[in-house]
Amino acid sequence: MTDASPERDAAADGGHEVARGGDDHGHDFPGRGSIKRWFVTTNHKDVGILYVVTSLFFLVLGGVLAWLMRVQLLAPRALGEGILSPVAYNQTVSAHGLLMVFWFLSPFAFGFANYVVPLQLGAKDLAFPRLNALSYWLYLFSGILFGVSFFQGGTFSGGWTMYAPLNVPTFTPDVGASTAVLALVLFVASVTVSSVNFLTTMHRMRAEGLTLRNLPLFSWTILLTVWMMLFAFAALLAALLVLSSDRLLGTTYFAMESPAGALLWTHLFWFFGHPEVYIVFFPALGVMAEVFQTFTGRRIVGRKWFILAMVLVAIQSFAVWMHHMFLTSINLQVKTLFMITTIGISLPFDLMVFALIYTMLKGKIRFTTPFLFVFGALLLFIIGGITGVFLGAVVLDYEFRGTYWVVAHFHYVMVGGVTALVGGLYYWFPKMTGRMYDEFLGKLHFAVYFVGFNLLYFPLFVAWETPRRVFDYAPELAPWHQLATVGGFVLGLSFLIMFYNLFKSAFVGDPAPDNPWEHATTAEWAVSSPPPLENFDGTPTYRNGHLEFLDIGEVAQSEDRSGGPTGAAVSDGGVAASATTTVATALSTAEATEVEGPSHASIWPFVLSAGAFLVLLGLSSLQDAAFPEGMVGAAYATTAVAGGVVTLGSLVAMGLEPFHGPVFEEGEAWPFAGIDNGKVGMWIFLASDVVLFGGFIGAYVFTRVAFGWTGWEPIPPDPIPGLVNTYILLTSSFTVVLALVAAEKRHKWGVVTCLGATFVLGIGFLINKGLEWQHLFHEGLWLSTNVRASTFFLTTGLHAAHVIAGLLVALYLTARAWRGAYLEDSRSVEYFGLYWHFVDIVWLFLFPLFYIL
Amino acid sequence: MVSTKLYTAIYAALFVSATVQVLVEFAGLSYWLAFGVILALSAAKAVLVAAYFQHLRFEPRSLTYLVGIGLAAALALTLAASYSLL
Amino acid sequence: MVTELMPAAAFPLQSGLVPRGTRAFVFERIFEVFLLLGTLVGVVVVGYMLYNAYRYRSGSGKGHVDEGNRLVLGELPSGSGGGRKLFTSFFMSMVIVVSLVSWTYLTLLYVEEGPADDESLDVEVEGYQFGWRFTYPNGHTTDGVLRVPADRPVQLTITTADVFHNFGITALRVKSDAIPGQETETWFTADEPGTYTARCYELCGVGHSYMSAEVIVMPPDEYEAWYANTTADNATANGSSADASVAASSAVAQSVAPQPSLRPAVVP
Repeated sequence: MTDASPERDAAADGGHEVARGGDDHGHDFPGRGSIKRWFVTTNHKDVGILYVVTSLFFLVLGGVLAWLMRVQLLAPRALGEGILSPVAYNQTVSAHGLLMVFWFLSPFAFGFANYVVPLQLGAKDLAFPRLNALSYWLYLFSGILFGVSFFQGGTFSGGWTMYAPLNVPTFTPDVGASTAVLALVLFVASVTVSSVNFLTTMHRMRAEGLTLRNLPLFSWTILLTVWMMLFAFAALLAALLVLSSDRLLGTTYFAMESPAGALLWTHLFWFFGHPEVYIVFFPALGVMAEVFQTFTGRRIVGRKWFILAMVLVAIQSFAVWMHHMFLTSINLQVKTLFMITTIGISLPFDLMVFALIYTMLKGKIRFTTPFLFVFGALLLFIIGGITGVFLGAVVLDYEFRGTYWVVAHFHYVMVGGVTALVGGLYYWFPKMTGRMYDEFLGKLHFAVYFVGFNLLYFPLFVAWETPRRVFDYAPELAPWHQLATVGGFVLGLSFLIMFYNLFKSAFVGDPAPDNPWEHATTAEWAVSSPPPLENFDGTPTYRNGHLEFLDIGEVAQSEDRSGGPTGAAVSDGGVAASATTTVATALSTAEATEVEGPSHASIWPFVLSAGAFLVLLGLSSLQDAAFPEGMVGAAYATTAVAGGVVTLGSLVAMGLEPFHGPVFEEGEAWPFAGIDNGKVGMWIFLASDVVLFGGFIGAYVFTRVAFGWTGWEPIPPDPIPGLVNTYILLTSSFTVVLALVAAEKRHKWGVVTCLGATFVLGIGFLINKGLEWQHLFHEGLWLSTNVRASTFFLTTGLHAAHVIAGLLVALYLTARAWRGAYLEDSRSVEYFGLYWHFVDIVWLFLFPLFYIL
Repeated sequence: MVSTKLYTAIYAALFVSATVQVLVEFAGLSYWLAFGVILALSAAKAVLVAAYFQHLRFEPRSLTYLVGIGLAAALALTLAASYSLL
Repeated sequence: MVTELMPAAAFPLQSGLVPRGTRAFVFERIFEVFLLLGTLVGVVVVGYMLYNAYRYRSGSGKGHVDEGNRLVLGELPSGSGGGRKLFTSFFMSMVIVVSLVSWTYLTLLYVEEGPADDESLDVEVEGYQFGWRFTYPNGHTTDGVLRVPADRPVQLTITTADVFHNFGITALRVKSDAIPGQETETWFTADEPGTYTARCYELCGVGHSYMSAEVIVMPPDEYEAWYANTTADNATANGSSADASVAASSAVAQSVAPQPSLRPAVVP
């Protein structure tokens, strides 16, 4: 790519993003053309591009799987006919769903979120840039791990919904199935890191005057999406960890014989699964809102009702999950409740659809490619939404269950969402690459796409009686399936037009101005295309009712351009250069504190993710808590251990690395004003950990209710070991508190002693537990003995794992305290304390639930 | 802010409360009454740790609400799912 | 109309508003109304969308961006009013949706109530990888074929011997999940003698595509004759050539399974 700006300073970073002065740092951050750049970058714009490109790879992979299915479905197939065997077909169907829902849809949306949201907020980057890079690399490696699963006997074959007990090794024994589950676990880790990052950023790093009410609609949808993600994915993680335990360790939560095991899975999965479909759709809704406004030249009708509707949907999305379970044995009262909540959630959508339509009235609509896609998306969403109401009527759902009515419905709404996101790709392409795409090819893409889409999915409504995931169906439906197959190929091939157009244009397209779209109003269009590395010259502010830039950087900056902007760098968890965040002083000509500029590069997110990949790959071969025999088992075990070493090493390296996050002054920060980013981030993480443990404890409660509560004997014969552990943990919380007090009083040996005591007490906890477990094993009890044992060992085991993780951090902190750290800046000790007290609180509930009651 | 003395007092209260929980078993209460008492004690302890050790009492209320949302979500799932079995 | 089969206990509503009859009848009525309304709403909304998109295309001269209210880069976002139209549409759609669903709720109550116990035939259904086993009130068990009399309600109690399945007879509009350790209940009435197909509607393994059973609806007297000849636990009492071929196809389905069947194939 060439950069048209004449101010480019080639010596600075060799890249193309320096279009304005003030943001070259003189350090060697490689240019965009270099491979190394992409492995070390932590800049949100780069990470956004990585997400978009990678997700498109998964689109192609998932799409090819869909083509295979559509070829198989050209005619009803007797056994032995068709290009796929039944085993292969089930894997294809499952992988298609998993890849599209997880590895394509949200990452594609988050590519844009990463790129655009900080610009819209007036921030220079996300709150935790290395965590941002980490979430990308975890995502990529989780996708690679999923790919590996195909080669380990076959990937998961029980549908993307992974119902129990089909999901346990009794019925799906392939190692690849376990790997697929672990790949999803790694993906959830990526999402959790990302949600913590986005939530902290979006609440804490908005420009002055940019209250939530004034937030652009795309940012609003991303904000709600990450709120939903935080809680929904924690529930999914609980489900996946329990499933992984059933598959790898031999616990029996989901076994055929376990009381209500199959229902437990459906509750856990759908509690996540329903918010997930809005998580996937909301960013598309945000794109629709932005693009409608820009290309009609009108502001959205009923904006505050639009926002209110979205907020309602986000909250309600957690209250509808049992509509996926209408045909199970749940009682009529609860069915009725969920019918009501389901209909309730369709109403805000009606409002949003109308708001978008009415925005067109009295506008001057330009049918550019982005608008065509977004307009088409709205149309498709309306059709999909109407057919969803059918499903909300329980008596109709009784018949639609497991048929192509459901398939056609969700493809209309979800791929309708994709349609809008494709519009978003065209819309932001000029901003991201600095070049315009070819408009004619864009419109051609839309035409072919729209025809292909409807040719593929509409016949599926007509052929709705076809059962899902089946390739032998009533012969009279074959013509519709044949039409659908043709449509599927047309739709897929239309993307070739897009790939050609965008790839070519990225190199030789017309240079794009800052704002190629008349009537676009959001802040990303106020900077160059592509924006400079630090996004803005000066600090964005809306204090006077519109976007302006305060020139603090230029006032205090010396002629030496290698210095960074003034204002203290906010540490990203690495070694902090300075603890204070100056605010108003930056505006005056006060002495510029000469600090290092913000950092943009770190290799550790990549290395850490590679380590995590190796750990999970190695563990995938476990069955009944043992590695396979012989060389194969040894290889897997070695992989896991090596991965563990790499992971731990990277964590330490990341901790020690001198990394400075973006410079910012607190503008709007509701509702976390005055609380620093690290603390907010830690609390957000803990809120999701609450849901994780809630899922585990809930699983225990549910299973015990199904079993008969009072007939369930606690596993430990007496509560004394548990009580001792309670004492130990309480004492360790006390010592952590004392460590913080010592740090605030700058009492080095106080800090070291108290942190060290915490570590020792934690070890004591683990030893005590180890002895207790050994005694139980000696009695003949094992994880797989019965479901009471499974729930006991796994729930307290998850807690123990949290303790171990905490102890590793405590050890690190003790060592650093010994070297004199935390006396000036005790935040790390404080954040560790927050985590440790949380672990203590969880035990305060586990103890009575598992030892006494 | 919180003095070391207050921290110590809270620690002692937690310690005692944990012991009491175990002793409830021997108090001869009916199962569900004992259940309620024991869980109430756990909740009280959790509140003390959260309010003082984690400082939530002195932080902006938004942090408490944040964790509260997580707790509410977990409870809603557990209670609704369990109810649907009955 | 099979109203004479409905429970004597009066359903405290106007007859005619809530469709009553066979499952198929109830489904078709509701589906038709939804289809009609859904298509109507869809056509109106999409038509309105397309019309306005055309009407306000740039260059038509109809739309305008007045100078005082132009969108400005960097402006703080705000809406453009128009709340009243929005509320009217929203209110109307809410009324339609809520009435529709309330109506179907009444129908749900009817369906959940089910037929009177004394009039219906109770059959237990057990799914397994990859077939269906049926047990009659006298204890007689068949595999792969369900015989029922026409014009008489059949109450099904459904479960599974292994994984999560779903039993559905699409032509008769009846379906329910088959969940390990749980029993679900549903019912249907077939008014036309004939042969229908029951399939599995929840992915259950390699044989899922072929996990089907025949449902033979017989004239009541023929059914009685057949039933009288069956005995408890005697699964092989009444073979017929039709049944043998069905058993063969369900044996095919079972042969697809890599793991051995949990029970030996039982031929009716």
